[in-house]
Amino acid sequence: MASFTITPVEKGIMRCRHTGPFTHEEVRALASFLYEYRGKLLIDLTGTTGEECARHIQQFRPMMPTAAIFGADIDPSILELAESYYTRPVRYFKTEAEALTWLRNQ
Amino acid sequence: MEKSQTAVNTFVKETGAWIAAQLEACTRCGMCAEACHFYQGTGNPEYAPVWKVELLRRAYEQRFTLSGKFKLALGLEKAVTDADLTHWSEIDYYACTMCNKCSMVCPMGINLGPLIHDVRTGLSNAQAVPADLHAAVEKQEHEGSPLGVTDAVFKQRIEWVADEWEIELPVDVKGADTLVVFSSIEIMKFPTNLAAIAKIMNAAGEKWTISTKGREVVNFGFYEGNEELTVLFASRVFDAAKELGVKRVMVTECGHAYDALRWSAANWMPVPAGIEVTHIAGVLGEFVKSGRIKLKPGAYDNDGTITFHDACKIQRRGSHIQEPRDILNILAPKSFKEMTPNKEQAICCGGGGGVIAIKDADPVRYAAFELKIDQVNQIGAKTVAMACSNCRLQFTDCVQHFNLDWKVAGLAQLVADALVG
Repeated sequence: MASFTITPVEKGIMRCRHTGPFTHEEVRALASFLYEYRGKLLIDLTGTTGEECARHIQQFRPMMPTAAIFGADIDPSILELAESYYTRPVRYFKTEAEALTWLRNQ
Repeated sequence: MEKSQTAVNTFVKETGAWIAAQLEACTRCGMCAEACHFYQGTGNPEYAPVWKVELLRRAYEQRFTLSGKFKLALGLEKAVTDADLTHWSEIDYYACTMCNKCSMVCPMGINLGPLIHDVRTGLSNAQAVPADLHAAVEKQEHEGSPLGVTDAVFKQRIEWVADEWEIELPVDVKGADTLVVFSSIEIMKFPTNLAAIAKIMNAAGEKWTISTKGREVVNFGFYEGNEELTVLFASRVFDAAKELGVKRVMVTECGHAYDALRWSAANWMPVPAGIEVTHIAGVLGEFVKSGRIKLKPGAYDNDGTITFHDACKIQRRGSHIQEPRDILNILAPKSFKEMTPNKEQAICCGGGGGVIAIKDADPVRYAAFELKIDQVNQIGAKTVAMACSNCRLQFTDCVQHFNLDWKVAGLAQLVADALVG
């Protein structure tokens, strides 16, 4: 089973559902997706644990488009990144509804 | 002392025979305006390159020429004021990438880019630099990187790329031939470029290394026009090169850094003898020509038209014009098409020179990019390749902003993905 799936939510927003440990190939594939993708991202961690994805989320953070994360307990400090011209806002929410509401307003 | 006096003192100090000759040679013909993508994109006459050096001209005339002194005394011309600094700060930092296309069309051969850089130096000394840009300069001074690539972040990033891309990234190897120095944009935003370049260097059998001390090639001091910091940032790379005993420093996909290290540093500081400074575009050409790497012919011939965006500091300034074309003629012999104009006459992307780092400059940056959209659309290109990460950031941002259906590709990435054997 793939460690992540990408499905549409609505126009301009895709859901990236993280479902388990990444292989090297999957990390590279996700990096390519983040580079190519031009919309906003709803990052759904309901299929995994906070510990499992912490390292990768931290490394993917500088490459992320505007994104809302929910679904697993993560330390929000791993999303902290000094504001800069190349970064996009990324925030953590407790629920999908909160995440989606915020994302739609970005 | 008033800020304006600090700026004027800087202009006067900078002015020698060369600047005087350049300023005296100008006939105000306005041809430079037609070459400027910011003027063309917005129609704002204040963006004419000749107007961007107006403060320097005033300082020169009023201090060194009889007519200038008379004009000032009679009130026919104004002295430089603090309000002028604020106004020209927007003109010279928001609407100039220092691409120097203007100098290509000047019938008098005036080299406007360095003159505009001198204006920036005056503005920098007078602390009249846009806040966003200056904040990045300060970060590079104190943290080692304008984008937050601290020692710890660099270490984590390199380890992550080496691990996940399953590639060897040698660090601090004494006696290596080539020191590879990435830009922070590549490290943070385009880490696949690190893996791509590592793959190429390893495939070529190059003895290479990266450095923890000289880890950042971008030079935001150069963008700002702050000579002291430009020298400090360049020194970090040169000191690392000397310490590691390398024969050459290879700047990766960054244009301004290449200008700063390869061409401009020697004007400000003693550069180490016997250490060549080169750019990845040149090295890729050298590897392909010598057969050290082999590419799959026609690898990108089935993805629609592909074109190459010439970066002002790598192609026009740095002369690496032919190597990317030789490579693309192997990778996409049927699909590679030139934009017009191209090569040394190419139109800048509009994001360089620190412009993309200034949020308030976004409207003019996007306006300038519309020229690029026309160029690309005229040939129906689906992929735009380039060898500068700053251009690449501008392209990827504008592709989103204008909702364009283009792929934006780094040259090294295209090469790495098409390696044979």
